[in-house]
Amino acid sequence: MADVTRQFFEGLAAKGHEPLLESFTGTLRFDLRDGERTEHWYVVLTRGDIVVAHDDGDAEAVMGTDLATFDAILSGEMNAMAALLRGVVTMHGRSILLLAFQRLFRGSVGAGDELRTAGYSRERS
Amino acid sequence: MSSDVKILDGNTFVVSDNAGDIDASLTDPTGLFSFDTRFLSKWVLTIDGRRLNPLSVDDLQYFEARFFLVPGTGTVYVDAKLSVIRQRAVGGGFHEELTILNHDDKAVDLDVRIEAGCDFADLFEVKDALKKSGDYFQRIDGDRLVLGYRRETFERETWISATAPATVDEHGLTFAVTIAPHGSWTTDLHVATGMDAPGQGVAHPKYERNAKKARPNMARSLDKWLDEAPRLECDWGSLKATYQRSLVDLAALRFSPVALPGHYLPAAGLPWFMTMFGRDSIFTSLQALPFSAELAATTLTALALWQGSQIDDFRDEDPGRILHEQRFGEMTAFEERPHSPYYGCADATPLYVVLLDEYERWTGDTRRVRVLEATARAALDWIDDYADLQGNGYISYKRRNEKTGLENQCWKDSWDSISYRDGRLPGFPRATCELQGYAYDAKMRGARLAREVWKDLAYAERLEKQAADLKRRFNRDFWVQDGEYFALALDADGGQVDALASNIGHLLWSGIVDKNNARKVVRRLMGTRLYSGWGVRTLAEGEGRYNPIGYHVGTIWPYDNSFIAWGLRRYGFKEEAARIAAGILDAAEFFEGRLPEAFGGYPRELTKYPVQYPTACSPQAWSTGAPLLLLRTMLGLEPIGDHLVVDPALPQGIGHLELLDIPGRWGHIDAFGRGTVDVARMGRGRKQLGVLPADAVRPTARPREHKH
Repeated sequence: MADVTRQFFEGLAAKGHEPLLESFTGTLRFDLRDGERTEHWYVVLTRGDIVVAHDDGDAEAVMGTDLATFDAILSGEMNAMAALLRGVVTMHGRSILLLAFQRLFRGSVGAGDELRTAGYSRERS
Repeated sequence: MSSDVKILDGNTFVVSDNAGDIDASLTDPTGLFSFDTRFLSKWVLTIDGRRLNPLSVDDLQYFEARFFLVPGTGTVYVDAKLSVIRQRAVGGGFHEELTILNHDDKAVDLDVRIEAGCDFADLFEVKDALKKSGDYFQRIDGDRLVLGYRRETFERETWISATAPATVDEHGLTFAVTIAPHGSWTTDLHVATGMDAPGQGVAHPKYERNAKKARPNMARSLDKWLDEAPRLECDWGSLKATYQRSLVDLAALRFSPVALPGHYLPAAGLPWFMTMFGRDSIFTSLQALPFSAELAATTLTALALWQGSQIDDFRDEDPGRILHEQRFGEMTAFEERPHSPYYGCADATPLYVVLLDEYERWTGDTRRVRVLEATARAALDWIDDYADLQGNGYISYKRRNEKTGLENQCWKDSWDSISYRDGRLPGFPRATCELQGYAYDAKMRGARLAREVWKDLAYAERLEKQAADLKRRFNRDFWVQDGEYFALALDADGGQVDALASNIGHLLWSGIVDKNNARKVVRRLMGTRLYSGWGVRTLAEGEGRYNPIGYHVGTIWPYDNSFIAWGLRRYGFKEEAARIAAGILDAAEFFEGRLPEAFGGYPRELTKYPVQYPTACSPQAWSTGAPLLLLRTMLGLEPIGDHLVVDPALPQGIGHLELLDIPGRWGHIDAFGRGTVDVARMGRGRKQLGVLPADAVRPTARPREHKH
């Protein structure tokens, strides 16, 4: 299961930039418990530029949960905000960074891409 | 329950009886609430085992109240030897200063007790009388009583403490008090709310403690808010009172999202709707733009943070979609309700782009428009990629969450709001007409931003071409030939849902109406079937489902009318816009300046006063914003480039109207409007305001130095 999380962060690192985050600069850390050990992912965000490290430096915003939960969020099986309200996920520090960042946790829940409509106007212009 | 006293700060509020006590059953809407959870359902003061009787209540401010109490039976006033003052202020949790005065010339010994308890109900449970599935606990931490609730990892706590020495047990605090002759005793009670998320930990009451009394920090922000708003001068006293009421209520309705501390957006209504609603926050921000651009700025930023990013049937979420409503209670946490957030509305997404453009026109804040470019593009994409459910080039809606999702995803969201003339209800999807107007406006305004700020000419041209095509098709497909107005909606077969409704006024606001059709639409809006004398009814008299006290099928909504007035101005119908303003502002006078969500659609000459809709929410944000937008339409304020154009058209009966220090990209500007009739001596219930001869309108505007 940890593959989902690893793929997510490595994918971000490879992409290196995210337009949705261009107005944000800051550091985020994800503390993901996996039994006895805790896995850390560290993200440096500079106006949408993303650098990812696999370590536990000091960060302005910290999200904590267990690895299985984080996997479930990334794969769309669990909603991050509901998990936060339940106390399964915790958030500390500059919450705006985490709220902006959670938009990247895009799983695909439900019907999927067939919901995309015809794009009537687009096709006629 | 008219005796309820409500005070609030953002989404934290206290509803008590007029003695200051709270003694709620599950379904009683009283208590201390925060983040959609009840943190106190019992808070009862007794002296020597007896409850107290209210002499008077002062709602000092929207965040504080003072209760004067005496012992006794309540039916007969006995010459009390004691009086009790509870001064309560909300902010974080709440703070209560309890003072007991001994008027006797002998000392007294009193057993003073606060009985406390909590059911930790979710707002949705209060509404729907649902049972809880977690466990309660109480503990005593030194001087503090902690009430708690736990369900799996979900935990909420209430912390209660006092400054005077108290005996704490699991159900309250007891004070053994001796008061000297003509002396007094006082204690401060603190109630703090604790949750693991999203604010983290325990929210302590936030106060500025000065010499006299505890004062929530928000008091200062209210002073600043009122100080920074434009000043209104007018010979119509009632309008000044309405304006002042609107400003104070709007201040109370401000809500600071967790992610943006210190920044405020308008929540939907007080107190049960103190949360982010896409549609309500956007409409209210639009209404308030000439008075405060900060609400729009925060709304735009906050809604962007929560813009949909995936397909999620439970939340009716799509990529690019702007949220409908966000909640934080237990049922949302356990996904028994979809509000984390819920996306089921079809208008907030195009309206988001409309607000972004209007915001830039007023403020010149191109930085924010650049920052939000990806959000705006995703919103515009949503119109074509996810909202065109029928593949016919129109936005329509049909919920995917059939259990707890919303059926009607337009502003008229009650079950019977969209009907044919004969009263039949169409199936789904439904393409209501105003949605097409919003889509048109979003594309036109998106094109302007693309051209002027994002510097993407090809995109601008594409959007304009799409908009022109939409307008052409709309005027053909929605036009009801035999009635000469636009159909309320298209049904699932593309047929016209042909009832005549106020929605046609929004079409004027959006600019989607062909010039040739505009006059016909105005004739309908101002005709007796729609216009009651107070305003435009949601549904026309004579339609199958018309009911003058039906929520969306005959009542008059001040918010709706304010946008209709804006639409009338957009097409040059100044006099009609002034009549709408006059009717609604006349009604406001009857409601002491606080317009309800809706009022009855009875003809004005029949009732003489506006009939309040039974369960209307008040104050409600977009009703509070309506007088603000009507001031804009009466003065004809329109930002053009770096200038504010002023083109007043006042209703007959207003002699002069001045709005001073209107903030915007021009610094501050004063706007003046002048009528012909002095109404200084005309009181309440004067004749219906009419229209002015065109030559009575003298537009004047002069730029002013920035005062700071």
